[in-house]
Amino acid sequence: MARHDEGVITVGRSRAGTVAANTAGIIFGLFMLFPVYWVLNTAFKPEAEVKSFSPTFLPQSPTLDNFRSALGEELFIPAMINGLIITAMAVAAALVVGFLAALAIARFQFYGRKAIILIVLAVQLVPFLALLIPLFLMLQRAQLTDSLPGVALVYLVLLLPYTVWTLRGFISGIPRELDEAAMIDGCTRAQVFWKIILPLTGPGLVATSVYGFIQAWNEFIIINTLNSPENQNLMAWLLYNQTERGTAWGPLMAGAIITSIPVVIFFLLIQRNIATGLTAGAVKG
Amino acid sequence: MYAVDTPPQKTAEPARPEPRRVNRVRRRSQRDARTAWLLSLPTLLILAALLAYPLYRMIVLSFQNMRLRELITGLTPPWVGLDQYTKALTDGVFWGVVARTAAFTVVSVTISVLLGLGIALLMRRVHSKVRLFMMIAMMFVWALPALVAAQAFRWLTDSDFGVLNYLIDKIPGVDFANHSWFVNPWEGWAVITTLVVWAGIPFLAISLSAGLTQVPKELLEAATVDGASAWQSLRNITLPILKPLLTIVTTLSVIWNFGLFTQNWALRDGHPEPVYQTLATFSYTQAFGQSRYSYGSAISVITVLLMLGVMAFYIRQMFKIGEVD
Amino acid sequence: MKRKIAVAAALAATLFGAAACGGSSDSDEGATSANATVDGKGKTLKVWLMVDAETAWKGVVEDATKRFTEATGAQVNVEYQQWANHLTKLDATLAGTDVPDVVELGNTEFSKYVFNGGFAELNKGDFENSDTWLTGLAGACELDGKTYCVPYYAGARVLIYRTDLFKAAGIADAPKTYADFLSAADKLQTANAKDKKFSAFYMPGQYWYAAMSWVKSKGGEIATKDGDKWVGQLSSPASQQGLQEWVDVTKKYSKADVTKNENEQAGIFAQGSGGMFYGNGWEQGTAEEVRKDPNDPTSELVPTKIKGKLAAAPMPEIPSFLGGSNLGVTQKSANKELAAQWIKAFTDSKSMEGLIKANALPNSTALLDKAAENPAIKNPALAAKSSWFPPNAEKWADVEKASILQTMLTDILTGKKTVADGAKWADEQINATLNEA
Repeated sequence: MARHDEGVITVGRSRAGTVAANTAGIIFGLFMLFPVYWVLNTAFKPEAEVKSFSPTFLPQSPTLDNFRSALGEELFIPAMINGLIITAMAVAAALVVGFLAALAIARFQFYGRKAIILIVLAVQLVPFLALLIPLFLMLQRAQLTDSLPGVALVYLVLLLPYTVWTLRGFISGIPRELDEAAMIDGCTRAQVFWKIILPLTGPGLVATSVYGFIQAWNEFIIINTLNSPENQNLMAWLLYNQTERGTAWGPLMAGAIITSIPVVIFFLLIQRNIATGLTAGAVKG
Repeated sequence: MYAVDTPPQKTAEPARPEPRRVNRVRRRSQRDARTAWLLSLPTLLILAALLAYPLYRMIVLSFQNMRLRELITGLTPPWVGLDQYTKALTDGVFWGVVARTAAFTVVSVTISVLLGLGIALLMRRVHSKVRLFMMIAMMFVWALPALVAAQAFRWLTDSDFGVLNYLIDKIPGVDFANHSWFVNPWEGWAVITTLVVWAGIPFLAISLSAGLTQVPKELLEAATVDGASAWQSLRNITLPILKPLLTIVTTLSVIWNFGLFTQNWALRDGHPEPVYQTLATFSYTQAFGQSRYSYGSAISVITVLLMLGVMAFYIRQMFKIGEVD
Repeated sequence: MKRKIAVAAALAATLFGAAACGGSSDSDEGATSANATVDGKGKTLKVWLMVDAETAWKGVVEDATKRFTEATGAQVNVEYQQWANHLTKLDATLAGTDVPDVVELGNTEFSKYVFNGGFAELNKGDFENSDTWLTGLAGACELDGKTYCVPYYAGARVLIYRTDLFKAAGIADAPKTYADFLSAADKLQTANAKDKKFSAFYMPGQYWYAAMSWVKSKGGEIATKDGDKWVGQLSSPASQQGLQEWVDVTKKYSKADVTKNENEQAGIFAQGSGGMFYGNGWEQGTAEEVRKDPNDPTSELVPTKIKGKLAAAPMPEIPSFLGGSNLGVTQKSANKELAAQWIKAFTDSKSMEGLIKANALPNSTALLDKAAENPAIKNPALAAKSSWFPPNAEKWADVEKASILQTMLTDILTGKKTVADGAKWADEQINATLNEA
């Protein structure tokens, strides 16, 4: 069977069709990128060009003023530091706690395993905003509102189910035969864990923590409700900054870029993992 | 606690032929179960304290009437039975919000999934360089934080300085100077939907395009040889193979879009008008804006109940396609 | 199973039980004196002021604090708050135990907190000028004949217009009557017909302070109290007439976004496509000059296109909304007397003179004439003399938060509702909100 004949494969794929497809693809890409381009364009314009009835498609006199303004804003740097602290606390805790549970589900057969899986899956779907009212009141009583650990605690719950779920995937990917071989060689369960599972899950831990970072970094509703302006993260800063008397669009767009940079970089780094763990539930774009 | 309470018999595997091994296996699995529960315990405790307990508190709160006075003074809110629910369920405004949220979900998910599938199919037909360009564009959009994207759209559609009005106004005979996109709710929702679809397409297109690689090329080629049209191949070969994945991503999109908050919140500058309220923003404004913490909780409870069916369906699907083993 | 329940119960008790008995809404402990001799050594007051004080009259704050510290020995820690979301933060903080001692709130926001036991009773007579306090500010401080806060400063709205465009359109003077105002608007409209973005009178659609001023000008009301019930009055013939007039003017002369409020109006007006607008006295300055760095209140001022081309006048025949702020001592404050003394220093005549210099209106009618001597606030000071304020209802803040009036205005302007239908809808919403149990 000489199937791979040029003529056969291109049936229904005329030249015109290919050109049309390529054009459509390019138009689609441009359409997707336009808002991103416009944010960049605005951020490099001086105020007079930003607030103009006839916007230009490139900055006429490009400037870094907007970035200076955003960085110089009283609460910007504190918000960045807050964000880093909260994120680090939440991700680290989620990783440690989540890894243990992931290990249990991935490597043990036990009564209640299905139930735990069910809980972990279901919990990811609970609209978290719905819990904001009681969480707010609980943290209030525990005097944890307007503090970084309080928010980190809430973020931990936000990240935990996803962390368990993805790590479970990574651990299951390690062939069981390795464990068994090691145990035959006299390793205890704990040694198997330290010498085999943990090192081999390394990339998974990195991917999971980066994803957790993105989630925590992008959150603003919870922190905005629980904390005062001094204890916000950058995302909430973006929200606060817009409702001041008149939006300062230039600095806002510059702030948005600074805020997005770590997320975009991290995201691109782990995009392969995200693409494979796509359907795991909590991976939200 | 659990490890101790759990009767060992129940954890045993079904009987194996050799009695001695059964014993060993039983002892082993007993110890395993204990370890497994110990390992899971921290996660379960955290979820219980910060998820299950708030959930319970939310339900309790919805049967009380907690307002600003109770918040400030710490007095126990009065019990009001089903009042909050009666209030919501007999309120036309609340039903309006439910209907709006549902309508938005159906429309936005339909458009997103169809477009996502279209883009995924398109990516198979374009030149590899174009495909790379599309991937990069989508990755950028995907990586963009939701709030940043929403702010970008707010800026694009600003009535005074927005570039969208400026561009449309350039079309001869069209006067779009100072056009306000949020006067007419249809236009306003078109903007919100565009934003949600735009931000949602990368996830859908990229995962569906990954799914498409599992459709055997030979099958499609054979179909073409047999004279099947592109549409027939799609309907009879591609879609059936893609169906489980399609179901999962659609369900997820439903769950996410039903909880719409960031986009309408940011585009309406933190105070969405009644026509731009969704269940999430409505509950939030009632609780934190109007200090009706109990009413807000009741609305949240109803929201969760409304979503329960979809969630159960999603979880069943996950078990079915073997993501869960 | 039982053990689980016990654990949950214990957890619940620690989280809620103890605290439930902790708070007290006891308001019968008498008024807090601002004249007591208290040794404040080693104590630090926490004061929440809005950001305006930081940008415009930080010197006044520092001076009052200095005098206060000399008198009492106590230190003061002032934290400046942003208007956006400040109530959410206040709610969260008041629910806890670490509360600020002094809090500034907008005058229309105060009633809700006074009614719900958030603020301590004060001895009105302790504060200077208390017999001539602006009623628009002081109204929110009163509950059952007791006083719970102290008026701080006020702002009134005026007509701001382009002198160059007036001249070009052949308009000699600032309008003296409402008829003058309409004819000026007509002339501006004709003279600038070529600019399709031109608004002879720029009026954003959700600018409810403005719309309600028109309502008041016809003798209309937002809501009045009938016995112990509030009754929305927007459907009354007088209110509807005022609304109709505002709608007519807005539709005819304004190209402003009907879904925007007045927050950005000065910046948009500064683009040059407007003849007149209705704003706070200080908005004239905002329209003529912008900070080079909008995030830095000390950065240099950059002139806009319309620098030197603006003038202000009282809006003829339209009474102004009296905006402003009050100061209160929180009920949970551990230093109530010290807090009251700080407020006393910050609102005395000396501080008020500092506010006048910083172009803010003082808290007392007795000082308004003095304010009128400052050319920058002459017109607002005049406007403040015929001013109005929203219903002094406990739940008024909820009406604002629910955007009831804003929604009504947008609906009317877009033709979705007639004036009568819109007013009827708003009345229903207002009744439900203000009378909610």
